[in-house]
Amino acid sequence: MSAENDQQAKEQLLDLAAQFYDQFELGEIPHMSVPTRTKNNIEYDEEMDVWVYGDRESTRSANSVRGARKLLKAVYTIEFLANQLEEDRSSTLRELYYLSESWDNEEAQFNDQDESNGLIEDLEIVSEVTREDFHMRPEESGATIMGPLHLREQTRRGEREIHCQKDVGEGGYQIPNNPDTIEFLDNDADFILAVETGGMRDRLVENGFDEEYNALIVHLKGQPARATRRITKRLHDELDLPVTVFADGDPWSYRIYGSIAYGSIKSAHLSEYLATPEAQYIGIQPADIVEYDLPTDPLSDSDINALESELEDPRFQTDYWEEQIELQLEIEKKSEQQSLAARGLDFVTDTYLPERLSEMNVI
Amino acid sequence: MTSFQSTLGDESGIAEELAESQQAISIAEFFEKNKHMLGFDSGARGLVTAVKEAVDNALDAAEEAGILPDIYVEIQESGDYYKLIVEDNGPGLTKESLPKVFGKLLYGSRFHAREQSRGQQGIGISAAVLYSQLTSGKPAKITSRTQGSSEAEYFELIIDTDENEPEISVEETTSWDRPHGTRIELEMEGNMRARQQLHDYIKHTAVVNPHARLELREPNAHFKFERATDQLPEETEEIRPHPHGVELGTVIKMLAATDSQTISGFLQEEFTRVGKKTADSVIDAFRDRHYGREMRWQPPASHEAIDLETLVSDATANKGAEATAAFADAIAAAVDDHDRIAHHELVDIVETAADRTEDEHGTAFGETVQEHAVDAVWRALIDAPEDTAEPDEDVVEESRLVTDCYELADAATSTRKDDEVIHAFAGRLAAKFEDEEDDRHRLTRRQLREHVDRAADLTEEYDDVSFGDTARENVTEAIWNVMLTVPDDPPLVRELEGDRDATSDLVDGMRATDIMAPPTRCLSPITDELIQAGLEKEFDADFYAAATRDAEVHSGDPFIVEAGIAYGGEIPAEGGADVLRFANRVPLVYQRGACATTDVVKSIGWRNYGLDQPGGSGLPNGPAVIMVHVASTNVPFTSESKDAVANVPEIEDEIELAIREAARELKSYLNKRRSMEKRRKKQNVLGTILPEMAEKVAEVTGRDEPDIDDAIARIMNNVLVERHTEANGDGQGVSLVVENHSSTNESLEVTDIVTSEPRNLSDGATAVEMDGEWFVKWEPEISSEGEAVLEYEVDDDASFDLDVKGVESEKLTVTDQ
Repeated sequence: MSAENDQQAKEQLLDLAAQFYDQFELGEIPHMSVPTRTKNNIEYDEEMDVWVYGDRESTRSANSVRGARKLLKAVYTIEFLANQLEEDRSSTLRELYYLSESWDNEEAQFNDQDESNGLIEDLEIVSEVTREDFHMRPEESGATIMGPLHLREQTRRGEREIHCQKDVGEGGYQIPNNPDTIEFLDNDADFILAVETGGMRDRLVENGFDEEYNALIVHLKGQPARATRRITKRLHDELDLPVTVFADGDPWSYRIYGSIAYGSIKSAHLSEYLATPEAQYIGIQPADIVEYDLPTDPLSDSDINALESELEDPRFQTDYWEEQIELQLEIEKKSEQQSLAARGLDFVTDTYLPERLSEMNVI
Repeated sequence: MTSFQSTLGDESGIAEELAESQQAISIAEFFEKNKHMLGFDSGARGLVTAVKEAVDNALDAAEEAGILPDIYVEIQESGDYYKLIVEDNGPGLTKESLPKVFGKLLYGSRFHAREQSRGQQGIGISAAVLYSQLTSGKPAKITSRTQGSSEAEYFELIIDTDENEPEISVEETTSWDRPHGTRIELEMEGNMRARQQLHDYIKHTAVVNPHARLELREPNAHFKFERATDQLPEETEEIRPHPHGVELGTVIKMLAATDSQTISGFLQEEFTRVGKKTADSVIDAFRDRHYGREMRWQPPASHEAIDLETLVSDATANKGAEATAAFADAIAAAVDDHDRIAHHELVDIVETAADRTEDEHGTAFGETVQEHAVDAVWRALIDAPEDTAEPDEDVVEESRLVTDCYELADAATSTRKDDEVIHAFAGRLAAKFEDEEDDRHRLTRRQLREHVDRAADLTEEYDDVSFGDTARENVTEAIWNVMLTVPDDPPLVRELEGDRDATSDLVDGMRATDIMAPPTRCLSPITDELIQAGLEKEFDADFYAAATRDAEVHSGDPFIVEAGIAYGGEIPAEGGADVLRFANRVPLVYQRGACATTDVVKSIGWRNYGLDQPGGSGLPNGPAVIMVHVASTNVPFTSESKDAVANVPEIEDEIELAIREAARELKSYLNKRRSMEKRRKKQNVLGTILPEMAEKVAEVTGRDEPDIDDAIARIMNNVLVERHTEANGDGQGVSLVVENHSSTNESLEVTDIVTSEPRNLSDGATAVEMDGEWFVKWEPEISSEGEAVLEYEVDDDASFDLDVKGVESEKLTVTDQ
């Protein structure tokens, strides 16, 4: 977190305000254009192997009452962010929403948090500054790392050197909102194992999987927050560690994998910075359900719809995924990670993971 | 109950006995018992009706004499009774006619006239007299002074209801301060509960009679309605009836009364809008109905083995070879010239050929010879069997009529019909023609349709296909159009007189003929301009619209419908819209629910026109006044009290069209108002947001506040007028920049009011000095997204005041520094 960086972020924000100013002066209708953030405007970047926004743009223009309100809010938010950077403070997205209540102009106050979140995304895209650089953070996501990694984090209270196995409790090292403040010092890790559910993470830690296999266990806590995806990406890129994803055996978990590997729709402007295209999927695979005869639940209608829409989704247009999804549609079943416990509490660490990881040439 | 039937046989003379008690009743007596029919059903209403009748009479009298009406109405309390006094400045009544006008029912000048007037039957005022004498027992007191006479006549009279004659109790001369006019004083039982209706009546009368001065004095109130114009309504003229909409009975009566010999003369003399040409059209339509048309068949084509010349030659004996050949040749050639030919056309051809041959060859071709020739050719044309020969059963050769019918039927029916079916149908239809006794093939349209129906029925039966109504009608129409009106002379009037059927055909013919709408000089519409002016005078609204329709006819009487709408302003917004009904300039106050006008207003979907209408039907809600005026030589009322217009379809249609015409204007006004309202709202919101945004942007960027007028004008698609001044030598240069950000061309009127004399005006400017101020005016027209710069120079110390017209204020942004 350098002051230089902050200065640049601030300048870029003020440039945006100046742009509005010039538009006024030229007698133009103040406006800003941002890529349309919908599924239809997501394109696959062949080169980067990630999802980015297409050419379609939405214009926020003062032409209408709604548009004018949006721009007014944008200007107030710019002012707030610029001040925040000036004072070197930070705030959460939720705080921004509540903070707007204190603004002198009622028209500039946010109606709900979706609106303020959306506006921050707009500003990120237009100013080409990430919200972390605005010192805006989401609510703590609680995602953690456990494993043989030594790092240095720049905290507000000075630098801290932390070993993610030795210096932390059972809970592991909590990933900060801006992982770019971390410097990796040393590691003994062989690979990264990103785990969807807390129960499974705890099982792996209890069984000492991280120590036995030199694994960095990253707890995703469901759909991973930006910081989690960012640190995963950095661990992969900087430490050259293979990334594997261990999730439930249902369509929603495949999407968790997808957002790690290819990027999500909401943050497609940051895909390059967040996505790890090389990430591999461990399971639970539909094939595992059959092979290990796991306890299952039937697929619900929404599961089936999700699977079918994934078959259409270019992100899953690979032989592997088509085969797995079609198999799942055929058996009409899904299984959770923890269903492996049906074969004993150690089955996952002694049998399943080693087998899968060696199949994938990770160990 | 006693049964007369049972006693009929027993007692004689019952009928005689009953007959004794039957006697004529006088009209006055009848109405004495049926006061309600004249609008005198209650004390409250009686007073209003009496005022109405007296005022209507007064207006009519004054207008007819070309006098601007000046009418005074006074109502006094008089013990248990009310005393009604109505005075006018009309021409006055002569001593002879006065008692009859007031003292005899059904006495008047208007009943037989086709001319618009308020009164029609001559009942109204005498009914008021009757009502007064019935309730108070007092005679009517009437004063009248004709122009130029030194004294006024004074009468006191009652109506002798047995005789329907006036009974004069006092008759004397008196002096009166009005130079001419009539005054009537009636005492009657009554009350002022219907005060509102009375006021409505007077106020609405003022709306539609802007040329009249009205004054109403009540015990506790006093109203004056001054004249808005000195222009009398155009004088109306009496007209003859219009051929559309006279009934059979009327025509029969007219035929008996006319001096004309011929139908053509009768039509031209007795009806309006009928000249020679129209009369001919009516007569043709009559012929079609009365005599039928003649079928025209195609002349023989070259491939047919019919040699007309030979046929004619064979039929012509003893006329010499050369002449016969010429005769035959002329006929054949003339027939061949026709696409189709009817029997009477053939008769003409033969006659012409005979005359010509006689001229050239000196041989006379008499009637008999001509008849033979016609017969020979016509029989060939209709393929009639030889008289002598037995029908050849073996060789069933198809009649040429079948081919002809097939062509017509095929063209008239849909292509989906099978050729075979059409052919079979054509054969049957042709057979119907062949079976005609009259081989001239004369059919009325109805007979033709019967033939087509019969042929179609048979086709349906034998060929098992459907031959629907549309197809039948199309075939009938196609053949009817080919057929030709016959030249037979129409009957003379005296022949027609006793012939009910023929007369009925004539009436049908009159209705079927296109005839110009009746002249409107018999009508005196208020005109849309004056309706609007009248509404503007009496209602303080935001919007007014009015429409006057062209004249139409119902039952031979022309009528004009006019409608007006006032909206917004001071008109109360709560509840339903007010409907003001007028007939011949008379406000209709009672029986709103029974009136065709109200029915039509309720039937219109007012939501389409931007008014609120609960449930989508009924009276619309909101601040609106809907006015309808029906002017006619004979307004059909539901009853003699003349409170409601009867539901005559022609009139209802016109009422609807008139209202819709005015309502369309209302709609565009309301739409515009709504869009302006939206614009104003937007402008209000943006007008606060954008300056705040500009302020914030300036604060954040650390600059001065930006000028946002241009941006706002552009956002609002507005026209922006900005003043720029700059020092220029010893004075200052002023430029007014007009930018049009709207999507249409805008024509503006820009006036700058300057306190000292302007110089070097830019093109198109005019400067007018008035009281030390100069009005500098331009009228630029600026295209969408265009700009105009208006410039001049003026002294330094001058001050300005800018005024821009031609653009709605919502669409205008003026920055006058």
